[in-house]
Amino acid sequence: MKLPALTLNQKLALVAVALGTLALFSVPHRGPVVTLDTRELALIVEKEVDHVTPSELAGWIVQGRSDYRLIDLRAESDYATYHIPTAENVTVAALPGFPFQRTEKIVLYSDGGIHAAQAWMLMQAHGYRAVYTVLGGLEGWKDDVLYPVLPAQASVADRARFERAVALSRFFGGEPRAEGAAVANTPVDLPKLTAPAPAPSGAVSPIAPRKKKKEGC
Amino acid sequence: MAPFYKYGFFGDEMSLVLAFVLGTGFGFFLERAGFGSARKLAAQFYLFDMSVFKVMFTAIVTAMLGVTYLGWLGWLDLSLVYLVPTHLVPQIVGGLVLGVGFVVGGYCPGTSVASLATGRVDGFVYAFGIGAGTLAYAEVYPWLKEFVNSNDMGQVTLPEVFNLPWGLLVFAVVMIAVAGFSAATLIERRIGDKS
Repeated sequence: MKLPALTLNQKLALVAVALGTLALFSVPHRGPVVTLDTRELALIVEKEVDHVTPSELAGWIVQGRSDYRLIDLRAESDYATYHIPTAENVTVAALPGFPFQRTEKIVLYSDGGIHAAQAWMLMQAHGYRAVYTVLGGLEGWKDDVLYPVLPAQASVADRARFERAVALSRFFGGEPRAEGAAVANTPVDLPKLTAPAPAPSGAVSPIAPRKKKKEGC
Repeated sequence: MAPFYKYGFFGDEMSLVLAFVLGTGFGFFLERAGFGSARKLAAQFYLFDMSVFKVMFTAIVTAMLGVTYLGWLGWLDLSLVYLVPTHLVPQIVGGLVLGVGFVVGGYCPGTSVASLATGRVDGFVYAFGIGAGTLAYAEVYPWLKEFVNSNDMGQVTLPEVFNLPWGLLVFAVVMIAVAGFSAATLIERRIGDKS
């Protein structure tokens, strides 16, 4: 018996049926089980794609972006004294049980870089992939954003960069410093926690309230 | 490995560029399918041309099979793919509103832009209406907020809701699609002959 010739549409339908039938046995969604690809992790570390520089982060905050969550890993008392505006306080110990969405972009910081880096590894082990650390932590934030220093022998490009840094620094209540050599060693105080505090009624806060970012169509 | 954005392969700026490229491609194929014309789209509702049903369902089946196999191969981490949270009742209402607009205007949001790109005046009017409607919605949102956010089921998928294996659902959707295509062709022949 000769089979009737199939139209292209019918052939495609047959392909779909075949693929659909094979898909019966598929396990595409691995759910909560996580396998760590250590080579991939090593590559991420080497290529430094897991970093956000303090100035980048400052830019995001000024723009009022809400497609990420900024997490302060330090102790509650430190957080109360000062934190980067918009940051939430989750200590390293509280991190594993914290209800993050796996689809969220998470930016971590601590005082220096070590705690954040360790927490980054912890998050990777829990299957969170879109995790970043603030380069240099709060120290980096202080040096680059709050109290930027204009190098003594500044080039034109340096000066242009410094101009931008000055604007950011003022926004976050810091104080730019010119001619690095003289002031580099004087200890600096962190600004009073006024920037993220609720604005007095009537005043418009420079930081837009967090909105849930809509993804997709 | 994928989704590339979640793995930091590119940043926000690049994602906007890619969105533009993908969007342009989407519009191109909408136009190629004839969906730049309101006549073609309206024909769907008179049942003498089932192209809309066929093209959209084909897109769903293609994407579903692709995502399933990429996930199975381990190239795509499905738990990192963003899903629009399900709000059952508000979304049914929203779907009906969109459907009424579809029948009245002869376009859906995507096809109206494709039609605007080819210089059709009705497409322009429709796209302008979308803009005006979006603004109006934003203005009345405070009153609708409670309803819009009700019925929150979170980011769920059908296998989770029905507690069925992923593969079984994929198989079922493919079968529904194939059956739907055959039925659509039959309907077209019947009604197409009369008109």
